[in-house]
Parts: sequence; C-alpha cells; structure tokens
Amino acid sequence: MTSKKTIKSAFESMMFVWGEPLDVKVAAEIFNMNWKDAYDYFIELKEEYEQEGRGLQIREINKSFQFVTSFSNVEYIERLCTPIKEKRLTQQALEVLAIIAYKQPVTKGEIESIRGIKCDRVIEGLTKKDLIIEAGRSNAVGRPILYGTTDSFLGHFGFSNIKELPDIEDIAGAMNLDDPEELIETGQLEIEF
Amino acid sequence: MAYKVKLDMFEGPFDLLVYLIENSEMNIYDIQVALITKQYLEYIEKIKYLDVTVATEFMLLAAILIEIKSKMLLPRLKPEGDFGFEEDPRAELVQRILEYKKFKQAAELLDRQEEYNQSIFEKLKEDLTQYTREPDEYLNLDIKQFAVAFNLFLNKKKKVEEIKKNYSRLERQKQSIEDRIKQIFKFIKENTQKKITFEQLLGENDGKYEKILTFMSVLEMIRLRTVNAKQTTAFGDIIIQMNEEKMRGQR
Repeated sequence: MTSKKTIKSAFESMMFVWGEPLDVKVAAEIFNMNWKDAYDYFIELKEEYEQEGRGLQIREINKSFQFVTSFSNVEYIERLCTPIKEKRLTQQALEVLAIIAYKQPVTKGEIESIRGIKCDRVIEGLTKKDLIIEAGRSNAVGRPILYGTTDSFLGHFGFSNIKELPDIEDIAGAMNLDDPEELIETGQLEIEF
Repeated sequence: MAYKVKLDMFEGPFDLLVYLIENSEMNIYDIQVALITKQYLEYIEKIKYLDVTVATEFMLLAAILIEIKSKMLLPRLKPEGDFGFEEDPRAELVQRILEYKKFKQAAELLDRQEEYNQSIFEKLKEDLTQYTREPDEYLNLDIKQFAVAFNLFLNKKKKVEEIKKNYSRLERQKQSIEDRIKQIFKFIKENTQKKITFEQLLGENDGKYEKILTFMSVLEMIRLRTVNAKQTTAFGDIIIQMNEEKMRGQR
C-alpha cells in the first residue's frame, strides 16, 4: 500500500505535468484506489496550498483539479509577460448565461420570455465559446433544444461545480423584496435523454 | 448588425422597464403605470428611427403596459365567490420584472466572477509527446459519436459495394493504337528476320486491354499494308512479316 504522502506528492506532480484539469477518476485509477479517497487527497492538497498562501493554487472544476496562479500575483505576471486579456462577455451574454446557469436545462423560448427579447445570436456566441451546450430536448411542443452550461463555464467563472453558484434567492434578497416566494418558478421541465 | 446599434444602453424591454422604475424610485409593487408607460413609449419613439426590428421587440411590452394602464382606470371589481382577493392588473408584470431582475443580478454576479477569474492563469496542456513512448493519436469522441461515425462508414461501404456490383470500373486508356503501331513497327524492324509471331508482341503482364490493343494495331497495320500476316492453322500462331515494298517506299 502506497503511503498517503507518496500519493499526494504524486498527484501534485501529475497536476503539474497535465496542465489541464486532471480528472480525479484518472488519478485514482493510477493508484488503483477508491475514487472518494483520491478526491479527499486532492482537497487536502488544495487546502494546504491555500493555507500556505502559495503562488500556485489548486482549482477544482467538476471533480477535476488543476494548478492555477494565485489571484494576488496577477500584477507581477502582467509585468513579466503582459498576457492578453480575454474579451469580457457582454451584458446580454451574461444575462442569457445567468438564466441558463440557474434554470438549466432550459429552452430558448424560456430565456426569451424572461428577457423579453430574442437571443439566437447570443446563444450561438455562447455555444461557440463552449460555455453552453445543447443538453437534450424538451418534451414541449416542437421539442425545443434544451441548453445547459459546460465545464468550461465553471472554469471561466471559477466555480468548482454548478452547485457552487450562489443561491439565486440570496441575490434576490439583496434587492429587499417583500415576498420572494412568488419568484420561484414552479414549471419544471421533463427531460428526455 | 441590429443589436449593436441599439442597446448600448438597454439589453431589452425589461432592462429598460427596470431602469425606468428604478430611476423614478418607484416601489416595484406599486408601479405608476401611466407614468412608466409614457416614459417607455418615449424611448421607443426614439429608437424606432434607429432600427425598426429592434423597436418591434420593445412593442410587445409597450402593448402590455398600455393594457394594464387601461385596466387600472376601470373600477376594480371583486370577483364573485372570491375571499376579498383583488387581482391587481399589474401583478403578472411585477412578477416578470422580478424574475428578470433576479437574473440581471445573477448576470452581474457572473460579471464580477469573470473579472476576478481573469486574474488567475492556468497552464495550457503542453505537448507531451516527447515524454510518451508511443505518441498515440487520441480520438476525442465519446462512444456514441464513435458508434455513429462507424455506422456511417459501414453504410457507405455497403452502398459503394452495391454500386460496384452493377458497374465495372473504366480504366483510362493507357496507350493509343497509333502509339502501339509505332512500337510494333520498331520491334519488327529491329528483329533480324523481319518476321515475328503475334505472341512475341505481347508482354508477360499484358492485360485484356493491352492484348486487344495489340491485336487491333496489327489489324490496322495489315489494312495499311505495312505488314502481312499469316495464320496457317486455326488458333495457331500468327506470323507477322514486314511488307518489303512498303518498307522500301518509306525509305
């Protein structure tokens, strides 16, 4: 039985070589170990890096882990190599993305009824950026396409998983609403795979 | 591009409506419909000249606002059998505004997250082939996509085979009769006896086409009286001989 220390050290090296998010399952298979144990080791590693305030941090994206730079060092990295900043998403793209993220799987019709405006172009753009993906079809008339977010979405916004999105009712609470109960949409979609 | 002209300012009808309500510091549950409708219509009036397509998207909500406004003017009646519950004509609109606002807030949150995340860098996956013994090419497909592709391949193959059954392949003519005649002519001339058999003209690997071509060429040469041909027995050797007169004539 390989010691925990060895495994964690190996995981570190593997993440370094891999660059991209390393799937916990893949890492666990290498040691022929339980998936959950491997996950816990990764979390431990992640916490260690956080506690020590290292220049590298470990980021979780949907049960995969990857090394990223520490947020606080952005200034020095920019001085070193002036990285190109990605173009920020527009407000309408963010609105559509927010609706998809919180209501997924969701049809274009539903998105449009919330925003009161067509959004074909925005959806096309978000799909191209690999932030959203078609996630089956609704059983409603015309079997419209359902949209959901991707792992790239999680990475782009720094969420470990979709559950990490702040509770939408908490955001609503910030608006000082008298009766947020009414906000909850009850219409649930049936999804067919 | 319509979308660019328009709404540098407002992302849609609800965005505009929310702005108007907030700007006039109204309670969302007690919207002064008349005032908001007026302001809303003024805005549409302005953008109408910029882009009709975009303006139409604002029209539906304008119509809803006007409808609500007119309903507000009517005396409100308690529906019979109801326990004193009055339906506010604005209720549905308020709900939709709140729903929109909720996601607008979520969008703002995503915006902040995005900004924060732009300060975090990740390393791209490097080319690891120099570390791997067998630089395999990985097919980045899930099993379903793979199955679909494989089925397509099988179907295509089947179709091609069916077509092949009915048609034979036409090969491009490799050599013309004229070329072959020149070759044969030269071959006979180089032969010391000026006399050859047909068999000699055929190469070992000659296919049906070449054999027929050679035969046709010989026939043509006979017609032109370049050669004489004799076949003493049926299916026997064909002896081809240069026509001496012709040869002298050519010289």
